[in-house]
Amino acid sequence: MARARISGAARLALVVGALAAIVYPIPLQLQGQTYYQTVGFLVLVNAMLGVGWNVIGGWTGQFDFGPQVFFAVGAYTAALLYAKLGVIAWVGLLAGVAVAIVLCAVLTYPLTRLRGHYFAIATVAIWMIAQPIGASWEFIGAAQGLFLPVQTHDSVVGAALSLQFSGPTKALGYYYSALLLFAVTLALMALVERSKLGYYFRAIRDDQEAAEGIGIDSRRYKVIARSITAAVFAAAGALYAFWALSVFPEQVLELHWSTLPIMATVVGGIGRLWGPVLGAVILIPISQVMSTTLGTGPLAGRGIDLIVYGLIIIVIAAFRPTGLLSLPWGRWFGRRRPAPA
Amino acid sequence: MTELAQAVVNGLQMGFLYALVAVGLAIIWGLMEMINFAHGEFLMLGMFGAWWLSAGFGIDPLLGIVPIAVAMYGFGVLVYRHLMRRVQGGDPFTQIFATIGLLFLLQNAVVAGFTSDYRFVNEGILASLSRTRLDVLGLTFGVPLLAAAGLALVLFLALYLLIERTEFGLALQATSEDRDAARLVGIRPQRMFAVAWGLGAALVAIAGAILVNFFAVYPQVGLQFTVLAYAIVALGGFGSILGTLLAALLVGVIQSVTVVYLSPAFKDAFVFASYLLIGLFRPQGLFGRF
Repeated sequence: MARARISGAARLALVVGALAAIVYPIPLQLQGQTYYQTVGFLVLVNAMLGVGWNVIGGWTGQFDFGPQVFFAVGAYTAALLYAKLGVIAWVGLLAGVAVAIVLCAVLTYPLTRLRGHYFAIATVAIWMIAQPIGASWEFIGAAQGLFLPVQTHDSVVGAALSLQFSGPTKALGYYYSALLLFAVTLALMALVERSKLGYYFRAIRDDQEAAEGIGIDSRRYKVIARSITAAVFAAAGALYAFWALSVFPEQVLELHWSTLPIMATVVGGIGRLWGPVLGAVILIPISQVMSTTLGTGPLAGRGIDLIVYGLIIIVIAAFRPTGLLSLPWGRWFGRRRPAPA
Repeated sequence: MTELAQAVVNGLQMGFLYALVAVGLAIIWGLMEMINFAHGEFLMLGMFGAWWLSAGFGIDPLLGIVPIAVAMYGFGVLVYRHLMRRVQGGDPFTQIFATIGLLFLLQNAVVAGFTSDYRFVNEGILASLSRTRLDVLGLTFGVPLLAAAGLALVLFLALYLLIERTEFGLALQATSEDRDAARLVGIRPQRMFAVAWGLGAALVAIAGAILVNFFAVYPQVGLQFTVLAYAIVALGGFGSILGTLLAALLVGVIQSVTVVYLSPAFKDAFVFASYLLIGLFRPQGLFGRF
């Protein structure tokens, strides 16, 4: 039913995009260039986070500034299980997702009494409380964090199962791991979007009183929405932990784990499944490309990339707050009307 | 006992400075119901301005308050006229995004101009008094902080009187209550909003010029104060100027008591835990009208 609404042009864009994402690192790998593969990895991670944030922010309409807490939960859970018990990476990742869902549900239920601005500040509050806990809890390594011992695997399967890629294929391995996680996330969120759950979320966003009037328990569905977001963040956090080979509080609780995905979502189109993907593809390379072009010149490390981010986001907010995907692409490039949001 | 009393005294002194940081936000966000996530960046600009006047021209940060307040008033009005007015009518999310964009732009424009180095104001009236202490009833007061707290209190009261006791203040409140009704009685809402943004920016910049005597200046300095200011305004209750002051004092005391009895690392965490606890039982804040 939903498929029928997708225009031919959009389907073509989808196939081309998917092929490009799969083929992208191969020529780079043949030339021995790993840098742009890592850029691709970061695009995928941020796109995945944006798709996750869209559930609570875009569909349910609750501004969540603290999902980086669950990014950290995923990273720490997977890293602890691996470093202390030798649990294999993907199992650790799933465990991280499970812990994040439970923790998020417990923490978020009381917060759903708060609405609008108050809810947003409460999510910041939890992040502010999590920071000193992360920096002082000895069990998780306090401020020094955890280091993940490197294991070398001879077989590709062994490396892929333990998320431990090293040597010349390191960037390639993590790129495809991120692509897999991203694709799974996107597919699951596409299902959620078309399910009853997705309609409940949007009903709460559009008119909470009316949604409650027709029997939707708004507090329960806000908790479910935020837990879905938390699950996506935890999965990405676990992957990031194995990529960085270390987890420490300042790194995984860094604010940019929420601001970059949120900005990507806004630029692409908030509340649209593919919005964060488009946004991440546009925004993330700006930062990476700039740091190479500026090199060690006088403007290197002067935040020029973030100035550009700021300008892009201001222009989008002022002139097209519904994002780039909401532009009338169908009228410009296709014959049929584009799918409504 | 003396230890606790000293902690409370220290907290109250910081609380007055927090009140000055938060009150600009209380006007823009609490009273006029517009979001400004670049509030901390306005503070940072005020701090940088004071540092620049002090390091470049030898102007004491306390004297620098005047030109900085005037310049930031103009800046606040410009931000409203050219950006916020455009996003005002739409989804509240759009205001969040516009000001997040502004946050990135301002913060990193300063990084581009001045790098992320820490800078200090070493010369100035308050800095030269830094060793001076006052002992009253066995409690120690640092004179510079006491002077700054007094200044903050005076500014705060002036603002309170402006908003609660003058015709202009009534017009501001009327605009926030009902824009269309305000227009009917001859108030121009757009102008009121522009003035509110100007006032908010000027006040937080003044706070910056005072804080610069005690804290290092760097482009990212704003965030720590912004998150506190948001908690203070929400804790005090939207639209209540006096509530903001009391909440700021409470936050200062919670911080200093946490530092003495628990751990300095947890001082902000306890503020936010209190916010959550109070927020759950009294969602409209301690003194909120709605």
